[in-house]
Amino acid sequence: MADDKKFAGFICTGCGIGERLDAGQLETTAKRDGKMATCQQHEMLCSKEGVQLIRDAIDKDGATHVMIAACSRRAKVEAFSFTDVAMSRANLREGVIWARPENDDNQETTQEMADDYIRMACAEVKYMNKPKMSGEQALNKNILVVGGGVTGMTAALETAAAGFPVHLVEKTGALGGWAAKWHKRIPGRAAADGVGNGTNVDLPMPMDNDVEQMVAAVEASELITVHLNSTVTKTSGAPGRFSVDITTESGSTATENIGAIVQASGWKEFDASAIPSLGSSNADVVSNVELEALAKAAGDGPIKRPSDGKEVKSVVFVQNAGQASTAEGHLPYHSGIGDLIAIKQAIYFKAQNGKDCDTTILFDNLRTPGAAGEDFYRSGQQQMVIFSKGQVGEVTSGGNGATVSFKDLILDEEVKLEADLVVLDLGMVPNSGPDPYAANESQEGMTDEEKGDAKAAAEIAVPIDSILNLDYRQGSDLPQLKWGFTDSHFICFPYETRRTGIYAAGPVRRPMDIKQAQDDATGAAMKAIQAAVNAGQGSAAHPRVGDLSYPSFRKEGCTQCKRCTVECPFGAINEDEKRYPMFNESRCRRCGTCMGACPVRVISFENYSIDSVGQQIKAVDIPDEFSEKPRILVMACENDAYPALDQAAMSGQEISPWARIIPVRCLGSVSLSWVTDAMNSGYDGIIMMGCQRGDDYQCHFVRGSTMAAERMAKVGDTLSTLNLEPERVIVHEVAITDIERAPRLIKDMEEVVERVGMSPFKF
Amino acid sequence: MTEVVATNETILVVGGGISGMTAALEAAETGKKVVLVEKRPYLGGRVSQLYKYFPKLCHPTCGLEINQRRAKMNPNLTIVTMAEVTNIEGEAGAYTATVKLSPRYVNDNCTGCGDCARAVEAEFDDEYNYGMSKRKGAYLPHVMAHPMQYVIDPRIVGSDDGQKAKAACKYDAVDLDMQEREIKFPAGAVIWATGWQPYDAAKIQPYGYDRFDNVITNVEFERMADPKGPTGGKIVRKDGKEAKNVAFIQCAGSRDRNHLYHCSRICCMASLKQTHYVVDAYEDAKVTIYYIDIRAIDRFEDFYQTVKAMDNVTFVKSKVANVITDKEGNPICRGVDTEGYHRYENTHDLVVLATGMEPSVAKGDFPVDIVINREGFIEPDAANGGVFAAGSASDALDVNRAVQHATGAALKAIQVVNRVARAEA
Amino acid sequence: MSDMNKAMVEKYRNSFLSEVEANVEEGEWVKMCMQCGVCAGSCPLGDAWEHTPQKIFMMIRAGKRDEVLASDSMWMCTSCYNCIVRCPRELPITHIMHGLAHYAKRLGIVPQGQPTAKFAQLFWDNLIKKGRVNELKLGLSLYFMNGFGEGIKTSLKMKDIGLGMVKTKRMNPMEMLGGHAVKDLSGFQKVIKKAQELEEARLAKHGA
Repeated sequence: MADDKKFAGFICTGCGIGERLDAGQLETTAKRDGKMATCQQHEMLCSKEGVQLIRDAIDKDGATHVMIAACSRRAKVEAFSFTDVAMSRANLREGVIWARPENDDNQETTQEMADDYIRMACAEVKYMNKPKMSGEQALNKNILVVGGGVTGMTAALETAAAGFPVHLVEKTGALGGWAAKWHKRIPGRAAADGVGNGTNVDLPMPMDNDVEQMVAAVEASELITVHLNSTVTKTSGAPGRFSVDITTESGSTATENIGAIVQASGWKEFDASAIPSLGSSNADVVSNVELEALAKAAGDGPIKRPSDGKEVKSVVFVQNAGQASTAEGHLPYHSGIGDLIAIKQAIYFKAQNGKDCDTTILFDNLRTPGAAGEDFYRSGQQQMVIFSKGQVGEVTSGGNGATVSFKDLILDEEVKLEADLVVLDLGMVPNSGPDPYAANESQEGMTDEEKGDAKAAAEIAVPIDSILNLDYRQGSDLPQLKWGFTDSHFICFPYETRRTGIYAAGPVRRPMDIKQAQDDATGAAMKAIQAAVNAGQGSAAHPRVGDLSYPSFRKEGCTQCKRCTVECPFGAINEDEKRYPMFNESRCRRCGTCMGACPVRVISFENYSIDSVGQQIKAVDIPDEFSEKPRILVMACENDAYPALDQAAMSGQEISPWARIIPVRCLGSVSLSWVTDAMNSGYDGIIMMGCQRGDDYQCHFVRGSTMAAERMAKVGDTLSTLNLEPERVIVHEVAITDIERAPRLIKDMEEVVERVGMSPFKF
Repeated sequence: MTEVVATNETILVVGGGISGMTAALEAAETGKKVVLVEKRPYLGGRVSQLYKYFPKLCHPTCGLEINQRRAKMNPNLTIVTMAEVTNIEGEAGAYTATVKLSPRYVNDNCTGCGDCARAVEAEFDDEYNYGMSKRKGAYLPHVMAHPMQYVIDPRIVGSDDGQKAKAACKYDAVDLDMQEREIKFPAGAVIWATGWQPYDAAKIQPYGYDRFDNVITNVEFERMADPKGPTGGKIVRKDGKEAKNVAFIQCAGSRDRNHLYHCSRICCMASLKQTHYVVDAYEDAKVTIYYIDIRAIDRFEDFYQTVKAMDNVTFVKSKVANVITDKEGNPICRGVDTEGYHRYENTHDLVVLATGMEPSVAKGDFPVDIVINREGFIEPDAANGGVFAAGSASDALDVNRAVQHATGAALKAIQVVNRVARAEA
Repeated sequence: MSDMNKAMVEKYRNSFLSEVEANVEEGEWVKMCMQCGVCAGSCPLGDAWEHTPQKIFMMIRAGKRDEVLASDSMWMCTSCYNCIVRCPRELPITHIMHGLAHYAKRLGIVPQGQPTAKFAQLFWDNLIKKGRVNELKLGLSLYFMNGFGEGIKTSLKMKDIGLGMVKTKRMNPMEMLGGHAVKDLSGFQKVIKKAQELEEARLAKHGA
C-alpha cells in the first residue's frame, strides 16, 4: 500500500502569501523536510486554473496525497474539495501572515511559522489515507417507533408518507396514548387573517379530538406494522442493522431488522400526593388529567363533580401545582402548557355547565406564548373565564366542596374562595428509561456535591423499566441531561441524542402539547430516515455527515483496558466475546474520543490518527534552548477554538509567533501521548483549547471536552517525573467568540515560559 | 455565480437563517438535491447577529460554524445568496420558481483577502450591527460570513470608490458591470423559511426609541454584548457612559393590538439572558425587568429562577406607560406596578425594549398562495400543497423550536419529492 | 347562609362581571383586561385615583361590587382618552369609567360629597329645564354648591372674568331671568322621557 502513495504539494502565493513569505523556501521545505515528491506554486490556487493544477496532479500524475498550503482549512472548502485523495491544508494566510505584523523585525519568525506549518501539513497527509467504506453497509429502510401515542403515531405516519416502513410498538392494548383520553384539544392555530379585536370575535376554540382518525390512519397504512401489548425487550446492533426484539405480553417475541429508531415514550402525570397542601386527598380536587375524563364522561352535558355527582357551578384552576418550584419533591421545571389546558377546560365548563358556571384560573405568569397561545388567552376571556394572578397557599375541604386560600397579587389581599371543584395543573414527567449514567463511573466530571446528589437520587429512585433495552456497553437507554429528559444539544441540534440513530420525540424530550409533539415527531422521523440512509452508505451521522472514516484498532496491541468502551460519549463501542472493543461504525460519530482514551495508541481513523497529529507535533522545528524562540503547541477544537483563532487573525489580532496550532476534532481525541511526546521533544508549553463542560456543555461530542480535562488533570504527574513545571500544560475552555481571548491565552503561556524558563528537552 | 441545476425532485428552501439552513442541510444530508435561496449576502440570518443563546448561554456562531461546514462539504446543496424568490407557480411535485438575483459586484474569484475594502473610502451603516457602526463600501458582512466573499455596496458602483475596489483586486473578482438578473428553475417542494424581523420600535411612540439615544432594542443590545460588535462587547451608552442600571421593557410591541397581537415568545427569555450580560459586565449592576407575564416555559424555567434569585435584579409586573429623559439623558420609566398598585418613576442608564418578532414577509407579499393567520404567520394547511413553512415563518419561535420545526419541514418536503421519484421511476 | 359566607360565595364569581356587562356602557370589555397596568400609568390624573382602571377591572372580576360602585375613582376621569389609545386590548376605558359612574349613580351609591357627581347633577338639572345649558346659572349654582358663604366668596373671586365675558358678549346677564330654551322644548322633553322609559325597561329586564 505504502508504495502506491504519491505525494504532491501545492503552495498558493496569493492573498499576500507570496509577498510576505519566501515561497521558494516554503517549496524547499515541503520537498526536503516534508518529502513531497512534487511541489508547485500558484498565484491563486483557488482559481479554476489553480484547482485544475491539483486536479491534473491527481488524474494525470497519480497523486494520492495532496498537501495544500494556502488559506485556512475553513476557507475555499468547495474549491479544494478532492474527495478521491487524502488531503491536508497548511494555514499560511489566517494562520501566519494575517496573524503576524508585517515588518522586518518579524520576518524571520513569520517565515519559521510558515515553514513549520508546511512541515506539519506534509507530516499529516503522510499519515492519512482516503477513507473507504468498510463494505458492511446496506440500506435498511425499516424504522422502529416506540410508543403509540400522538407522538409515536405521527412519527409512524410521517415516516410511512416518505415511503419508509415502520414497526410501531405500543405497550398497551390500544393506540392513542394520553391524547385519546382528552375531551378536546388545545387549538393549534391563531385567529384567521382578517379577524379584528373585540369582545366576541372569531377566536380559536378547543378543537375536536382527532386521535381516533389518527389511529385509523395508522391502522390503514400498508407500511406501518403495529405491535400492541408489546415492548422492546432487546435492541442490539447499530443504525442500519439494529436487531430489535419485540415481545408481546404473552411472551412471544419477534425479531425485526431496523434501520433507525424513534423513541416516543411520552410522559406520566406528576404525583399529586407530593403536594398534600393542595388537597389532593379531597375527591373534589382533581388533576387536569382527571378533569378530561370527567368532561369526556359528560359528553356535551354538564360536568359533574366526583364526590356526589353534583353539577359543577363553580370551579377553580390552581396553576403550577408542584411545578416550577424548588421545594422538595416538586418539579423544578414547568410543563409550559398548563395554562393553555386550564383555559381549554374552563371553556368546557362555560360550554357544558352554562355561562353562569364560575371559572377562575389562579396563575402566576400566564404562559400562553406565540400567536396561537395569546389568541387562546383572549378566547378564554371572551368566554368570561376569570383570570387572577394569585399565589395559592392551600386547598382545604369543607363548605360546599373545597376552599382555595390564595393571595390575589393584584388586589394585594388574602382570599378564601369556595368551589364545587378544584382542578390542579400538574406537570408532565418524562417517561424515560433508566439513565445509563445516573450513578456509575461516568461521574468523573462531577464535583463531590454533584456526586452526592446523584447518589441520593439513585437511592430513592424506584427501579424504572427500560424502554429500549439496548444491548450497549453503556447502558440500556438514552442518556438524560436533567430531570429525566433525554440529553441533546437542545438549541442548535435538538435531535442529537447520545445514541446514534435513536431519536427521542415528544414529551420525553421536554414537556409539550399535541401540536408541538406532532411537529417534534416529524422532525425525529426525519432524523431517523436520515440515519438509516447514511448508515446505508457508511457515512457518519451529525456533525460529520459525509465522513466515511471509522475507528479501527490493532488487535495485537490492545490490552483490553476498556477505556475506549467506557469513554465513548455515544456508547458506540461494545466488547466482543473475546473482550476486544467492537466499534459499531454506524454508531460512531467520529469524534476520536476513543483514540484519545487509548493508552496504547492502537485506535485510529483513516483520516485522523495518533500519527497524523503526532507526526505534526514532531515535524515542527524546535530551535535550541538558547535561541530565545520557545515553541508553544496549541491543540484547538476545530469547531470553536480554531475558528476563534482564524477570526482573530482576520480581525487583525496578532497571534504569538511561537505558537504552532493544530486543529483537533475534539479535545476528547487528544492522546496523552501527544502531550508527553511534545514535552519530550522540547516544546516549552502546551495549550489545549476545548469547549465548555458541565450541564450547559457546548462540546458537540458531549463529553469530549470533559474527558480531555480529566485526562489532563493527571498530566501533572507525568510532568513532574520529567522534572517539568506543571503550568507548562494547560486546558482552557474557549468559545468561538473568544476572538480576543484565545490569542491572549497563548500570550499568557509565553509569559509562563518566560517565567519558568525554556524547556530543557530541546535537542 | 453558482449555476442552479434543479429538477422536480429538487427541494427549494427559501431563506438561509437557522431554520432554512437546518431544513436544507437535513434534506441534503438525506441525499436530496436542495437549492437554498437567501436574500442577504450570507447565511445564518438573525441568529448570526446574536451573541449568546438562552438557556445555555452558548454562542450561536458555534452552531453556525458547524452548519456552515456541513454546507461547504455537502455536494447536494446549492446556495444562492442575494437572491429573492419572486414567483412560484405550479403544484406539489411540479413547481417553477422565479428568483431575482441582485448583483454582488464580486464574483467567485474572490479569495476574501480584503484588498478591495482597504482601497475603498466610503462608509455606510453596518446592517449586521443594526446601523450601530459603519462598514466600508466594499465589505465582508461579518467575520464568519459564508460565502466568505466580499460585497460591493451598489452605492459605490458608479463612483471612484467602485473603481478603486476594482483596481485593488488582484484576482479580477470585482465586476462592476454585474446586473440584476432573473433565473427560473423547477422544484418539487418548497420550504418557506423567511423568518422574522424585529418589530419597528419607533412605532411604540411613548417609549421614545426614535427620540432617545438611551432607549435601544433587544437586537441592538445583543450586538452591544458581542465582543465583535460595535462597542467591542462593552455595555455602554452612546455618550460613553457605562450602562450599569438597565431596564428591560417586555412586550414592546407584542401582545398589543396597536402593534402585534401575538406574544413573541422569545423576548422574556431574551431579556433574562441579557440580564446576565449586564450582571456579568458590572459588579454593581442593577437590572429592572418590567413585564406582564414572564413566559419562561418548560426547560427554561430554571433559567428564570436563576435570574429571579439575583439580588440586583428586580421584576415589576407592569407595562411601562412611557419613557421620558432627564437632563443627562437618563431614561426614566413611568408607570404603575400592578401588584398592589405602586406608582413608579425609575431612572435608568439604559432602557432596552424587548421588541417582538414579526414575519419578515408582509401579508400580501408572498409570491405563492399560502394560508396565513391574522399575524401573517403561515398556518399548516392542505391548501398550501407542497409549500411548507419552517421556523419563525410559522410562529414566533425560539431557536430550539425553530430547528425542530425546520427538521420536520424537511421531511414534509422529502415526502413530496419521494412521491415524484416513485412516479417517475 | 350568613352574610359573611354569602360575601365569600360572591367572590371571583361571574355575577358582578355579568351585572357590569349587562348594565354598564361598554361593560362587556371588562373581561378582556389583561392587567398590564398601562392605563393606570398613562392616566394624567393617575395620582388622584384610589383605584386604577386596571384595578377596578380586577375588582369587578373579584366580585367586589360595593367597593367598586362606591369608589370615587371613576368619577375622576377627565376623558383624555390616553388609556384607550394605549390599552393593548383596546378596552374603551374612558367609556367604561363613565359607564360605571353612571351605573353607581343610578343605584344611588355615589360616594358622599363626590364633587364630580354633584356637578353632573347640577348640569343635568340645568339642562333638562330648557333643553340647553344655561351657563350663567350653571356657573352660579356650581359656586354655591357647597354653601352660601363659599358661593359668595367664589363669585367675588370670579367677578372680573364674569364682567369681562359680559363686556365681550360672551355672557348675557338677562339669562338670569329664566333664560331661553331650545326651539321645541316639549319635543326635547319627550325625547328624554322616551329614553328614560327605555332605560327603565332595560333595567327591569336585567335588574340592577
